Amino acid sequence: MDKQAITLYGADWCADCHRVREILDAHHIAYTYEDTDQPEVHARMLQAADGKDEIPVLVRGSEMRQNPSSVELMEWLGLAHEAGAPKHDVVVVGGGPAGLTAAMYMTREDVDTLIFERGVVGGLIATTDIVDNYPGFPDGIPGLTLADNMRKQAERFGAQIELGEVTKIVDEGEYRRLETTSGDILARAVLVATGSGYKKIGAPGEEEYYARGVHYCATCDGAFYKGKRLVVVGGGNSGVQEALFLTRFATHIDLLVRSDLRASEVLRHKLEQATQEGKITAHLHTTTDEIVGENNAVVKVVGTDKTTNKKVEFPTDGVFVFVGLQPNNDFLKASNIALDAVGFVTTDDHLQTSMKGVFAAGDIRSGATMQVATATGEGATAALTIREFLEGKLELADDIHAPKQS
Amino acid sequence: MVKNITIFTRNTCAYCGMVKKYLGVKGHTYEEVNIDQHPERQAEAFKLSGAMTVPVTVITKHDDSMEVVIGYNLAKLAPAVA
Repeated sequence: MDKQAITLYGADWCADCHRVREILDAHHIAYTYEDTDQPEVHARMLQAADGKDEIPVLVRGSEMRQNPSSVELMEWLGLAHEAGAPKHDVVVVGGGPAGLTAAMYMTREDVDTLIFERGVVGGLIATTDIVDNYPGFPDGIPGLTLADNMRKQAERFGAQIELGEVTKIVDEGEYRRLETTSGDILARAVLVATGSGYKKIGAPGEEEYYARGVHYCATCDGAFYKGKRLVVVGGGNSGVQEALFLTRFATHIDLLVRSDLRASEVLRHKLEQATQEGKITAHLHTTTDEIVGENNAVVKVVGTDKTTNKKVEFPTDGVFVFVGLQPNNDFLKASNIALDAVGFVTTDDHLQTSMKGVFAAGDIRSGATMQVATATGEGATAALTIREFLEGKLELADDIHAPKQS
Repeated sequence: MVKNITIFTRNTCAYCGMVKKYLGVKGHTYEEVNIDQHPERQAEAFKLSGAMTVPVTVITKHDDSMEVVIGYNLAKLAPAVA
C-alpha cells in the first residue's frame, strides 16, 4: 500500500465527515472512503482509532487523526495553510438583499468582495411569492425575480458568489480568518448578512412528516397540493400571504393562528375576501399541537381552541408552517461575536459587531426591522462604512466597538 | 463516478435554481424535468424521493447505483456528485 494513501472512515449521516471530505475534495487529495455503517468497516475503524468510537477517522501509513478541526486537517495534509488561504478585501457572509446590495456597492468601487451563501442566493425573498412593498415595483414583483435581479446586478460589478458555509470567524489582527466548507479564507473586513430563517412549531409529527406533508416553502411545494385541503400555521405577514398564495392550488385552507392576526392591514383585507369566497377559514387563538399521519401521509392537525380550551381537529393533506423568524447565527456563537438575548448580533453606530472589522446588516442585526427595503439600505450603509474601515478612516470605531446593549 | 443526473423542478422554486447553479459550477451536465410542464412525471419524482417537494436530484453512478438528494442540501449534494 502506498505510504501516502489516505483512508477516510466515515458515514453518510456524519456532518464532520462531509466537512473533511469537502476539504480533501477541494484540494484534490485522493483517498479511499470506508463507510462505517458496515459492521466490518466499523470494526476496522475502531482498531485504527485505538477503540475510540468517533468519526471521521483519517489514516495515512502509521498516522491517524480522529475528527480533526479544519485547521488541524489542513496542517496534517501539509497544505500551506498560511500562504494558501486566499485573501479578499471583504467577505460577505450571506447572499440575501443586504449582502448582495453591500457587494454591489463595494465591487462597483473595485473592492474585492466574495459572497458566501449556504442556501438560496437572494435569501428569504427568493422563496416568497410576491414582494409587494419594495419600492420601484408598483405592482409588486415575484420574490425570485427580485432576488435574481439583485444577484445579476451584484455580479455585473464583479461580486463572486461561493456556494458554501462559513463556520467560524477568528480575528487575527490585520485579517479575519474565516473557516468555511471550502477551506480557510482571509478577509480584511467581514460583513455578516446571514438573515433569518423560518422557525419550526416544535409539534409532534413536524419532523417526521417534513417534506412529506409538512412544508416551509409555498412556492416550492404548494403545487403538489392541487385540489387538496391544506392547513397553514401562522398569522403574521408570511402566514397570511403564503395562505393566499396557496389558494391557487388548494380547495380549502384552514389558517391556524395561536393569538390574533399580526399581518398588515392590506393582507388582512385580502384574507377577508378569501374568507368570504370560502377559500380560507381563519381560526384565531388556536394552537397547533400535533400533526397526525397515517400510511406515511399527513391526515389531520390537532389543535386547541384557547377560547374554550377544547381540542379541535382539522382534516388535511398537508401543513405549511410560517410561525416567525429566527436568526441564522450558528457560526457567530462559535466565533464569540456578541448577540442579544434573542440571538441577533449587536452592532455599534458603524454597524460594527463586537469583533473589530466584522460588520452586520439586515435581518441578522439586533434592531433590524425585517424588511427587504431596510435590508438593502443597511447593506449600502455597511458597504460605505467598510470602505472607510479599509481606508483606515474608521479609527473611532476602536473606542466604541463594544456593542450597544439592546 | 457520476453517469448522469436528473433534477425534478418547478417554475417557482428558488432552491431548484440553486441545485442547477451548483452542478453548473462543478461542471456537471444534467437533465431537468420541470413538473409544471410535465405533470405526468410528478409521480415518478414522488416514487424516487418519497417527498412532496422539489428539487429532487437523482444521481446515477457508473455502477448504476442511484442516490436521491431531496431539496438543496449541500452536505448531501456535494459528496453525491463528487
